[in-house]
Formats: sequence, structure tokens, C-alpha cells
Amino acid sequence: MRSGIFSQGTRTTRWAATAAAMAMTGLLAGCGSGDGGSDGGTLTAYVYGDDAVKVQQAAVDSFNKTSDVKIKLVPVPGTDYVNKLRSAMGSPNAPDIFYNWGAGSIKPYVDAGQVADLTSAVNDDATLKDGFIPSIMTAGGLDGKIYGVPMRGMQPVMLFYNKSLFAQHKLEPPTTWEDLQKAITTFKDAGITPFALGGAEKWPELMWMEYLLDRIGGPEVFRKIQDGDTDGWGDPAVLKTAQTVKELIDDGAFGKNFNSVDYASGAAPTLLSKGKAAMHLMGSWEYSTQLGKAPEFAEKDLGWTTFPTVAGGVGDAANIVGNPTNYWSVNSRTKHKDAAIEFLKAMASETYAQDLVDNGDVPTTSNAASMLSGSPNPQFATDQYQMVEKAPSFTLSWDQALESKYATPLLTEISKLFAGKTSPEQFVEAMKAAK
Amino acid sequence: MSDHTPAAKTRGDRKAAVGNVGRPPVGWAVPGIVFFVVFAIVPLGIAVYLSFCDWDGLNSPTMTGLDNWTRLFKDSEFGQAAWLSLLLTTISWVFQTPVALLLGVWAAGRQRSRAVLSAIFFIPLLLSTTAIAMLFRALLDPNFGVIKSIGPWIGVDPNVMGSSTGALLVVAFVGGWQFMPFHTLIYQGGARQIPDVLYQAAAIDGAGMVRQFFHITLPQLRHTMTTSSVLMIVGSLTYFDTVLIMTRGGPGTDTTILPYLMYRTGFQTYDLGYAAAIATALVIVATGISLLMVRLTGFGSMRSTREGM
Amino acid sequence: MSTDTRPAAPRQGSPAASRSGGGPARRRARLGNPLAGLGSLVWLVIVVVPLYTLVSASLMRQDQALNGEPLAIPTDPTLDNYRTVLDSGFLSLLGNTAIVAVVTVALVLVLSVPVAYVAVRTRSRLSSLAFRTFLLGVAIPAQAVIVPLYLLIGKMGLYDTLWAIILPTAAFSMPVAVLVLSGTMRDVSEEMYEAMSLDGATPLRMLWQLVVPLSKAGISTVAIFSALQAWNGFLFPLILTQSEENRVLTLGLFNFMTQFGVNIPAVLAAIVLSVVPIFLVYLVARRALINGLMGVGGK
Repeated sequence: MRSGIFSQGTRTTRWAATAAAMAMTGLLAGCGSGDGGSDGGTLTAYVYGDDAVKVQQAAVDSFNKTSDVKIKLVPVPGTDYVNKLRSAMGSPNAPDIFYNWGAGSIKPYVDAGQVADLTSAVNDDATLKDGFIPSIMTAGGLDGKIYGVPMRGMQPVMLFYNKSLFAQHKLEPPTTWEDLQKAITTFKDAGITPFALGGAEKWPELMWMEYLLDRIGGPEVFRKIQDGDTDGWGDPAVLKTAQTVKELIDDGAFGKNFNSVDYASGAAPTLLSKGKAAMHLMGSWEYSTQLGKAPEFAEKDLGWTTFPTVAGGVGDAANIVGNPTNYWSVNSRTKHKDAAIEFLKAMASETYAQDLVDNGDVPTTSNAASMLSGSPNPQFATDQYQMVEKAPSFTLSWDQALESKYATPLLTEISKLFAGKTSPEQFVEAMKAAK
Repeated sequence: MSDHTPAAKTRGDRKAAVGNVGRPPVGWAVPGIVFFVVFAIVPLGIAVYLSFCDWDGLNSPTMTGLDNWTRLFKDSEFGQAAWLSLLLTTISWVFQTPVALLLGVWAAGRQRSRAVLSAIFFIPLLLSTTAIAMLFRALLDPNFGVIKSIGPWIGVDPNVMGSSTGALLVVAFVGGWQFMPFHTLIYQGGARQIPDVLYQAAAIDGAGMVRQFFHITLPQLRHTMTTSSVLMIVGSLTYFDTVLIMTRGGPGTDTTILPYLMYRTGFQTYDLGYAAAIATALVIVATGISLLMVRLTGFGSMRSTREGM
Repeated sequence: MSTDTRPAAPRQGSPAASRSGGGPARRRARLGNPLAGLGSLVWLVIVVVPLYTLVSASLMRQDQALNGEPLAIPTDPTLDNYRTVLDSGFLSLLGNTAIVAVVTVALVLVLSVPVAYVAVRTRSRLSSLAFRTFLLGVAIPAQAVIVPLYLLIGKMGLYDTLWAIILPTAAFSMPVAVLVLSGTMRDVSEEMYEAMSLDGATPLRMLWQLVVPLSKAGISTVAIFSALQAWNGFLFPLILTQSEENRVLTLGLFNFMTQFGVNIPAVLAAIVLSVVPIFLVYLVARRALINGLMGVGGK
């Protein structure tokens, strides 16, 4: 049977080869109707894919009900978000609206002319202009221009602690460096790790650098670096920060094995909730993490406070670091810029803020304060809101404030410093040299 | 080797005989070649081109000549990554080859118990790399993982992931855990091809088990070992997912092997031109090593893989 | 042709090379030495302990899983974690992965068999060049070409389709496929071709009636190898797809990690579930799978 069909010698076989080649080309061409991005009255919006996506999805759904231009929300798995966005922005598949951290995180796109300048759109519109805490609105901008509209909760970094451990050892949460030293000694003697630290990941280590530098040298030191002056790393406060880190490590403040402790797997938070560590410097999401993993602990024994002062430092103890919030930015090449801005206005609405509050977030809208009593955890939400509102300065996380070409080497160098691979002096030299 | 002469003869016979009949038109290979060229060689070509450019992925690439390449040779981080890659490859080979060889030869026996054990040994191969890396990350947590309870028994510090040598050894071990069944099967397949008559003859000569292993089994598995080693070496040189999920190149930069350095440079620093240079260097090294091995053992030439056994 | 197990398919070219290899049944245990037996038991422990922990922890509640005794038997096993995972669209991930695997295997076979046949049966410069190109391809790491591939796939309009995963995965499976297939095909004896040519068979008929049937081992090796590549693939789906409709299992696993935050038991349950389907295939087709993979070694 087979031979019957295929028995005509080389001519047939040549034909078969050609056909195969053509079939393949056809195959490729035939499937060429992939997602073309912004065509046909659709706006693609990239968002960091985690639990909170449902809040954005609700906003998109209600927007799509009335608008001719529809929005398609694309949640990108969190860990890959930055890479994914970067790859997409360089291609024809770029999203029209995209989630970001403002400042350095969008600088390359701004430099490449890919981000719409929203300054006048915001200033001309009362909803957007008055809708958000002003310091948060500016924190996401660059060179005094506005490129993004706040769209999620605030995430300041706070010092969390285990209340019952502190009570047991008759200690108060530290407000000064002296308190901190005393707590370290006391807990160490009791066989408890003073601070949980997920050193297997680099960013929890970064939080220590951020707060120490702020307390030692004030927020101006990093501000200078953020504005593009790598010589800023030569400031004596940076060296002092790195030396303080080394002292803390040598002192056993983070225990012996912090280098292999994970945050993402839940190891670091569990150290705190199980009383194996007394304190944990972490973003405000620690609260909901604990609530999910150890609800009893979160409700009864989890305390929070600001980072203490450092002896001889000039930074204000009310300053905070972390992520003010996240922003939506608009692609300058979008075909439906007006519709996109219309969508951004929804971020200032009461419904949206309420959805965020219900999700356990603390919105950065000006109307948020009154809603917080309805939060699943009113005390924590209110404390957090006030902490941010009162802060003289809110330094954006360094890895977001700096462009990735500086942020990545920074994280690597910090990891080397914490691993004891480099000395504080070498750290400073390496950072000054990073171009 | 008693088998030597006939095999050599075959080679001669074959060379003269091949392709007199049943020659397919060369055109048959065209679709496959075109496909491979489009999706592998062309992208590789672009990568090589990019290695001479400065590119951030957003603006157009600009030619910078040999800048990336001169930087490569001066970059101490690249040097360290190359060294770590070499180290990882060596450790992986030294760890996996003897174990896979022994297990494979052992499993080549037909006893039922061996079949059952082989079936269990196979399971890691069914898990994806992502899953394995996530699993071992959990097992090796110094406070809550298995390593805390059994580490002290077997003389392993629970903080193994936090020490420089420890982390590299763990990466090598996890790779071995995953791919051992694969290489074991390769050796098992090879061992089953060894003619029994060789062992019978050796037994008549009074050779013991160990002697038989070194004088028959090992030489007979020469080609099998080449295949397994090439796959192992290339695999270790391009090892990536596990490092990304388990160590992120740390502690410090102590597990930043070449593929991870390339990923960091390309997808975290967005220095895509330099990343392309690292990638190209990696391809050159990996290809060089596999070609060398293939040449040394004569495996890749147009002959039957079973000849010369 | 002595006592080969498959008399119809003499694997050795010339009669001179015939060997008196006994059939497998008669093969006696070789190296049945206690040392190797002991070694295999050690390896058994190394393999089983992580797997046991995987399964047992996936049956625990969150607070139990991190109580520092991962080897303990779950006192109060729960299937909640599995429910959580199944409720998060696990089946569609599985479906996508299955499609990717099947199409990839088909594509690899359809494209590689002719290439290997040409490489083995012709002596032209082109075929040897092609063969060498594929040989080089073994050493191309996927990460090296991911950026150019991204641009290419975007240009073809295939971005965020399953084709975006299938095509590069197939291409990167081809080098090993061609190597393995040509290895097997070289063992088809010259006499068989001659016999068929006396019957007036065309090359196509020879391929179909002689080479393919006699290369079954190699073909199943290639099928299994490329299926595993597709099953395991992480980088291509990561970079080349985005929407949920086109998400495959490996990426889904990674996503679960973000989605469930730090819910380790759920992540482990997702891992277990991801193994189940391929484990079933393994149970059904263990022999073919194992024989297939053995074939990579050059049989």
C-alpha cells in the first residue's frame, strides 16, 4: 500500500521535500495571528501577578462595562515581572499600561521615550491631582515630571517583633542604638537569634543597608546617588553603614546561618513566629504573611515599630524606607492614550480604595484615612498610614530607585558584604567603580 | 581484545559499501535543516552579532567593535564564573560518572529486585528541574529542613547552602540527583550490549570480577562513556534553572557560574551586548569540549556507534 | 547471523562481525558484587528521602510543614493543598503541556528522521556539513539565544502562542535527535538495502519499510527525549508566552510560588500533581521509556 503511493522515484521525493518545506512555512504563517497588543480598541495592561490582582481585575471589569476601548489585564508571575516587562517594552508586543515602582524602575523607558509624560494630564484633572498623598505622587516621578499614578497599597519597611519574647525578657522595642545592643545581647544569651534575616535572597539584606544609611547619614546621601552621582558611594556614611553591618554580623545579630535562610519559602517569617528569632526587618506585607502562616501569632504576639536611631547618626527616626506604592504608567506609543488616562482616574475612586482596604492594603489615596477602620486589621493599617503620613522622608527601595544596571551590581555587592566575602572598604570601592 | 580484528574489518567493509543503493535525495534533509537553522543557528548568529554591540534591549543596538570582548578578558567576575563553571563541571563528572557507571552495570543484570530498584531510581527524571530545585531548597533550609535533623549524622553542616563550597557542592549534587537515572540508563543500555562471550572467555582464563570489570566492562563501554560524558559536560556548562531557583548565584557570587552570570548581565542588568559575548564564549567552550571529546574517541565520525566495541 | 535476539534485524553490518552474544535471558549476572549492591541501596536512600518528604509535606497543614521535623509522618493528613492547586487552573496547565509535548515530539520526528537518513546514506559534502552543524547544536545553551529568539518569534507573530514554545523546543531537541537516529540507522546493514533495491524499492520505501521499523529503538529514544525537553522546558515558556491560556506546567509551578506566597505545602502539592501524569505514563510505558532512554547511549 505504501509502495503504491510512493513509488515514483526521485521526482516524487523531491516533491515531497518541497511540500514539507512549504507545509512548514504555512504552519508558521498560519499561526501568525498571535496577540498583537493594542489593536482593535484593546489596551493591554501588565500587572504584577499576586493576590492583589483581583482588585485591579475588578477595576478593569467595571471600566470595560462603560468604555468602548476595552482593557485586557495580564498578570505576570511576580518573580518575572521586571524581566518580562523589559523584554516586552523592547518589542512590538509592548503593553499599553504597565505596573511599576516609579523612579529608577522606569528610567530606561523614559530615556527611550516610551513612557507618556502624565504631568499635565494629572495637573489638569482634579480627580488625579488631589486624589493621592502628594509625597507619594512625586516619589514615583523623575526630574519633577509625573509618569505614573499610584495603584496599590503602601509598603513601608518596618521592624516587626515577637511581643511575648520581649515581655519574657523584660525588654521594650528598641528606639535607640543602645536599646538595640541591649536586645541583641539579651536574646543572644537566651539562645534566641536577635534578628531573622532571609539572607539567601538579597533584598532583605538591602533593607538593612537602606535604614542604616538613612539613620547614619540622613536621606540626602542616597538621594545624591539616586540622582546619578556614583561618587555618592564615597560618602563616609556609606562606609559607616557597611561597617555597622559587619559589626552586627560579627556580633551574631542575625544568627549563624542567615546566609541560607529564605524569605520566599517562609523560613524567615517562621523564625519570628516560632520565637526562634526576636525581630524581623521587613516590608509591611509581613503582617499578611504572618496572618496566612501563623494567624494566632499575628493576632496576639506580632508587634511593629520604626527602625531605631543609630548612635552618632543624623537621620530623623521618623524617616522610612520601602516602596511608597506601585504605579500605572502609560506607553507613549499607545493608540488610546485618552482611554488609558480615563482608566487611571479610577485609581483615585472611593470604590477602588475600598477594594484595596478590604484586601488588607493601605491605599495611598487622600481619602484613605477614614476607610481604615474597616480594614481587616484596623490597628496595623492605621499605624502604617500614620507612619507614612508623618514621615519627613520616604526613601524608595534602592533596587527600584536605581536603574537595573546599577541596582543589580549593588545587590551582588551587598550579598558579598553580608557573606563576608568583601570588607566594608571593598564594598565602597566596588560601588564607586560601578558604572 | 578478542573482538578487535573483526571490528576493524567491518569498518573497512562499510566504507567501501555505504550508499551504493537506497541513497535518498539530499533534499530530504532540507526541511529539518531549514527549521534548525531558523530557530537555532540564526538566533545564535544574532547573538554573536550582538556581542559586538552595546544594547540595552530598548534602543537600537550600536556597534562597539571588540569592546565587549576585551572587557570579557579583563573582567574578574567573568574569570571567576568561568572557573566556577569548570569546577562545577568537573565535580559533576567525577561524582556522576562512577556512580552512574556502577549503578548502570549493576542494573544491567536481569534480577527482579534490580528492576524494581531501577524503577525507583528513575523517578527523579520525571520531576521538572523547577520542581527539583524548589524541593531541595525546602529540604536544605537550615532551620526547618531535613538537613537540620539528618545533617549532623552524615557530617553535613545544616548551613551548607550558606557556605561557598557547600553551595557549589549542593548545586552539583542536585544536578546529579536529577540526571543520574538518565546516565545510569545510558550505561545500563551499553552494558547490555557487551557480548557474554567476552566474560565467559575471561572466566575461563580465571579473571575475577574486578579484573573482568576493568578489562572487559570498562573498555567495552568506551563509546557509551563518551556519549554520557559529552551530555554531562555540556549539561553542567549550561546549568541554569537550579542555580536561579536555589542559590541565585550566592552566597555572594560563589555559585555564579557562566550561564547565571549571563542571565544576570542580560536579564537583570540589561547589558545585552555583554551578555551576548558571555553567551558566545560559552557556546565556543562547550562546542570545543564536545568536539574534542568526540574527536579523541572517534565517536562522531560517520560510523556505527557499535563498532570498535 | 548467529543468535541475535532479533534475527530479522541484524544490527551488525558484516558477517565477519557477528558475535555470539547470548540472548538476554541467558545473560548471567555480571558484577553481581555486594559492593555495587550496597552502593545501590545507599543511592536508594538518597533518592527516596527527598521524595518521601515531598509527598508527606504536601499532605500537611501550613503550620505543621515548618515545625522542623520534615521526616515526621503527617499526623493529620489533609488534601486541602491539592484542592487549592486544582482550583487554580491546574488542569489547563496540564492540557497545554500535553499539547506542547505531543506536537514537539511529532515535529522533531518528522524533521529529524529524514535528516538522519540522508546523513547516514549519502556521502555528499552537504550532508556531512549538515551533520556537523547538528553536532555543534548539541552545545548551544538555550539562554544564549533567548533574546534573538524573542525578537524572531515576535516578528513571526507567534508571541504568546503555544507555537512559540513548540518551535524552539523542537529545534533544540533536534541535534540529539539526529545524533541518536543516525547512530541507530547506521546499524541497518548494507545487505538489507541491497535486498530491497533488488525488489526495486525507492529510497522512500526503504525509509518507510526498512529504516524506520529497524530504528524503532532510536525513534522511541528521540520521542522520549524530546517529550522530556518539552515537559521540562522553563526558559522558552517564561520568555515567549504570557497569558494564562497559554501557560504550561513548569511556569505554572513557578507562578504558584508567587500566588500562594509562602504556602510551601501547596507548592509541594503542585509539584506532586505535576508529576502524577508523567508518572502514569511511566507506569504504563516503563519498558519503552527505559529502553528508549538507554538508547541515547548509542544503541
